[in-house]
Amino acid sequence: MTAGSTLPREAVTTASRAPGDKDPVRRRARRFWTMRRRDAAAGYLFIAPQVIGVVLFVLVPVGLAIVYSLNKWNIFTGRLSFVGGANYAALAADPQLPSVLGATAVFSLGVVVLNIALGLGLAVMLNRRFHGVTFFRTLFFSPVVISVVAWTLVWGFLLQDNGGINAVLAQLGIHGPNWLQEGPTAMGAVIVTQVIRSVGVNMVLFLSALQGVPSELYEAARIDGAGSRTIFTRITLPLISPTLLLTSIITIVGALQAFAQIAVLTEGGPALSTTVLVYYVFQQAFTFNNIGYGSTLALMLLTFVMLLTVLQWQLRRKWVFYEH
Amino acid sequence: MNTAKKLAGAAALATAAIVALAGCSASPAAPAPTTAAPNSVALRMTVWTSNEAQLALFASIADSYKATHPEIKSITFESLPFADYNTTLTTQIAGGNAPDLAWMGDLSKDLIASDALLPLTPVLKDTKGWGYDDLLPSATAEFSRDGQLYAYPFSNSPYALYVNKDLLAAAGQSLPAEGLTWDQVSTIGAAVNVATGKAGFVIRDFDFSAWNTLATVWTGWGASAWNADGTKCTFDDDKMVGAFTFLHDAVYKHSAMPGPGTKADFFAGDSAFTVAQVSRASLLTGSFGYDVVPLPAGPAGTYSVIGQAGMGVLRTSAHPQEAGSFLAYLTGPENSAKLSQFFPSARKSLLSGEKLAANNTKLTAEQLQSVVVDQIPGAVTLPNHTSPAEIAQKGKTALDAMWKPDADVEKVLGSVCSAISPLLAK
Amino acid sequence: MSTDTLPASGSRIPMPTAPPAGVRRPRGAVARRIVLYVALAVMAVPFIVPTIWMIASSFKPLDQIFASPPSIFTASPTWDAYVQAFGFQPFARQYANSVYIAVVVTLLVLLVSSLAGYAFARLRFPGQNVLFLVVLVGLLVPGEVTIVPLFQMFKGVGLINTHWPLILVTALAAPCVLATFIMRQFFIALPVELEEAARLDGLGRLAIWWRICLPLAKPALSAVAILTFLASWNLYLEPTVYLTSPDLFTLPQALTRYTDAYGGEMWNTQLAAATMTVVPVLVVFLVAQRQFVEGLAHSGLKG
Repeated sequence: MTAGSTLPREAVTTASRAPGDKDPVRRRARRFWTMRRRDAAAGYLFIAPQVIGVVLFVLVPVGLAIVYSLNKWNIFTGRLSFVGGANYAALAADPQLPSVLGATAVFSLGVVVLNIALGLGLAVMLNRRFHGVTFFRTLFFSPVVISVVAWTLVWGFLLQDNGGINAVLAQLGIHGPNWLQEGPTAMGAVIVTQVIRSVGVNMVLFLSALQGVPSELYEAARIDGAGSRTIFTRITLPLISPTLLLTSIITIVGALQAFAQIAVLTEGGPALSTTVLVYYVFQQAFTFNNIGYGSTLALMLLTFVMLLTVLQWQLRRKWVFYEH
Repeated sequence: MNTAKKLAGAAALATAAIVALAGCSASPAAPAPTTAAPNSVALRMTVWTSNEAQLALFASIADSYKATHPEIKSITFESLPFADYNTTLTTQIAGGNAPDLAWMGDLSKDLIASDALLPLTPVLKDTKGWGYDDLLPSATAEFSRDGQLYAYPFSNSPYALYVNKDLLAAAGQSLPAEGLTWDQVSTIGAAVNVATGKAGFVIRDFDFSAWNTLATVWTGWGASAWNADGTKCTFDDDKMVGAFTFLHDAVYKHSAMPGPGTKADFFAGDSAFTVAQVSRASLLTGSFGYDVVPLPAGPAGTYSVIGQAGMGVLRTSAHPQEAGSFLAYLTGPENSAKLSQFFPSARKSLLSGEKLAANNTKLTAEQLQSVVVDQIPGAVTLPNHTSPAEIAQKGKTALDAMWKPDADVEKVLGSVCSAISPLLAK
Repeated sequence: MSTDTLPASGSRIPMPTAPPAGVRRPRGAVARRIVLYVALAVMAVPFIVPTIWMIASSFKPLDQIFASPPSIFTASPTWDAYVQAFGFQPFARQYANSVYIAVVVTLLVLLVSSLAGYAFARLRFPGQNVLFLVVLVGLLVPGEVTIVPLFQMFKGVGLINTHWPLILVTALAAPCVLATFIMRQFFIALPVELEEAARLDGLGRLAIWWRICLPLAKPALSAVAILTFLASWNLYLEPTVYLTSPDLFTLPQALTRYTDAYGGEMWNTQLAAATMTVVPVLVVFLVAQRQFVEGLAHSGLKG
């Protein structure tokens, strides 16, 4: 456009018509692609890899797992034979399943309770200013960055009957048990190993939440004469309840999926005492080659995870105090 | 948009399912005559040994085969770690990456029952000079079905009783001139334990976990884990009760056998006796005086037990005919003699004390004659069945109750049967 | 979903203020301080001693590993276990495998999740809430449920015993979904004015994302990068299922393979290999620990 010339108003305000552009298709296309539509197209394009990934690598496999659960599979010939609900009937009749479910419950509860209690406790202790607070914070967080397998291997090494822990106890005159060979201590060992490794994350999240609590509330409460326990239960806990909820969801979902820790430390033993559901699924599918039954168990695991998550999310209306 | 997404999803599901099912069905092809072009066939055999000497021997045999068979491009021996051999091989097969030939131990029953192996009898019989009648029937029983051999038993290693003569002398004990029984082993072992604090007898590899190795003991009572065709559990019959009562007393009454959690390594000099395969003789260091004798007799008389390993051709192989020919060559009379320095052969012609001693530095010809040659013909194998891993695990879980001081032997054995019967019935 | 207002990017976790200088602390406070230190030190033992023991034991000769009385240090340190670790398996190769897979996965996740997170936060398109829920489902499905079907799918295209399943599935499924969630939270909290100005200037969405939003998203991106790297580094079930050639193994898988011919553990070799796995990541963490911790704290995960 040359300066100074008078142009019809249309040409100035309608950007869709460039000088010399007579093609009606192009004009219509430009009118079609409004800002909103371009945004929407961009939206679909941007999310496409993620959505395709989830559909292809999560949803389709779940569907296939349902198909497998209705079949018996010969792994050497690859032949599937339809058996309908036989695998599900086997689920009801499996004599080992109650023990597996019990171990799963004990492990998950143990991990969640210890993890949250310890994480919160550490956060409270470190929520002050003193020399070395950063040092301690780093220290408690450090196991999180250590490879799961390496961490579990080292603990397995220390928990041997003649390993470091019993050697130290022997110095104190205590005869330590064969940790990994007795049911209760093996379960305890698996829980403790898992908690110590992952509590750092919860500690950091709680620290951040604690520091979001306005200090005026504390001062006001102290002026009113409230003791520290009351302050904690009536002010701190409710104000960090969103974090409590989210960390408990994350922790319990993580506990239900904890496979490497158990595979490396106890291999589900002694007997079945540390065989949790996720390990049982692996054992059936990959050690015993019962793919059909393994898929059925896996679907049961999935149901538990989803139920627990939904349950906790619904409970947020009751338990969580503040929501922005 | 939602409907389109649903349809797309269903299509993807259907496609994936079809791909999955099609991708894994095997076609049992009949071996076709060799019309392969020169230098076109690559064969792979999975093995569980990483012993340099053994692998070198295989390589040299492969080289001489290639020299006379131009169609072969290469023959590789892939060493899979021993501890997960079964799982790794299964994953290879399931993943469409199966080898042409494979070693197999307790996985053999599963493979044979699933029709995953090529029948070898025609191939071996047709190979000139192979000598099919040279094979011992007792060695081929485990790997045959309906008169067809599916895996060649290349290693047949009998179990024997190793004796630490120094420890016996230290306890003032000695073996009877002949007719050693389990009761005597237990008594001598208990005496050694009292005198020296070392263990009496140890069933190596059992470790209170792998209970199938206890067949080296219970066969002396005439017991077995299940009946001949593997459909009925016989763990709870009187003979087995007798055998386990003996073992339980040995641990908790006489202290002749160490209990769970106590490790004693015979080859390090920690026990007076051990039951182990003859092939373990390579672990003897000569730091103590030793002898190797056949297994003691039980109430049912003398007996022998062997541990076997087979090698077979997988039907999914791209070159089943060439693989079969190579297996026939590898196990022919000339090469079997070479292999027998590591793996006791199933061929009658190779079973003599002198022949075995020619390559054995630890055991004398007489010892080999009595513990190997005389034992193989009438031997039974360790219990084998389809679904071995699951049976092992369920059996072990039930049997764990046995290893407590006040265990009720009969009741525990009954619970073992309840645990594994469903699997036997399959 | 609660939309917390995040502190501006780059800020540290605020510390409670100390008492002004010159004020004498009451005597009880010193005692309480000492008690705190002791309590923390005692609690720290199970967090730090295993790592120290692992490193120290990797230098011990095999017969001293289970020595009693126990000692951290040995009189005769040796590199034997380290040499053996490399000789027993192609350990260097396996190390490289773990590293390159983790790097590739992290880069892919950064790309995919920041795009998807931005779209879910800023763009309006029909069905976006449903699609977001569909994506979230990816977080809830355990890997053990999908592994067998995925195995069959990859077998159908001949990708078993390659690294492709490890890279593709990790980069697009669970760890990526968490990353998308984090990025979305972050972008929601970002002030809109900058972008609106850019849009009036005629900038397309992609350019806005690349030139304006990404540079501002550094804390969230670093949190995502750390979480994803660790998730990929820690993969254990997937390599065990898909890979059968030792040359292709990743570190967690390789660490559990140090067993001798009869299944007995080779303790000192395992510890040496574990040390080599742990120490580099630990060193990086110690150097960058502030970013680690604060990235996580500001990730939006606290609700």
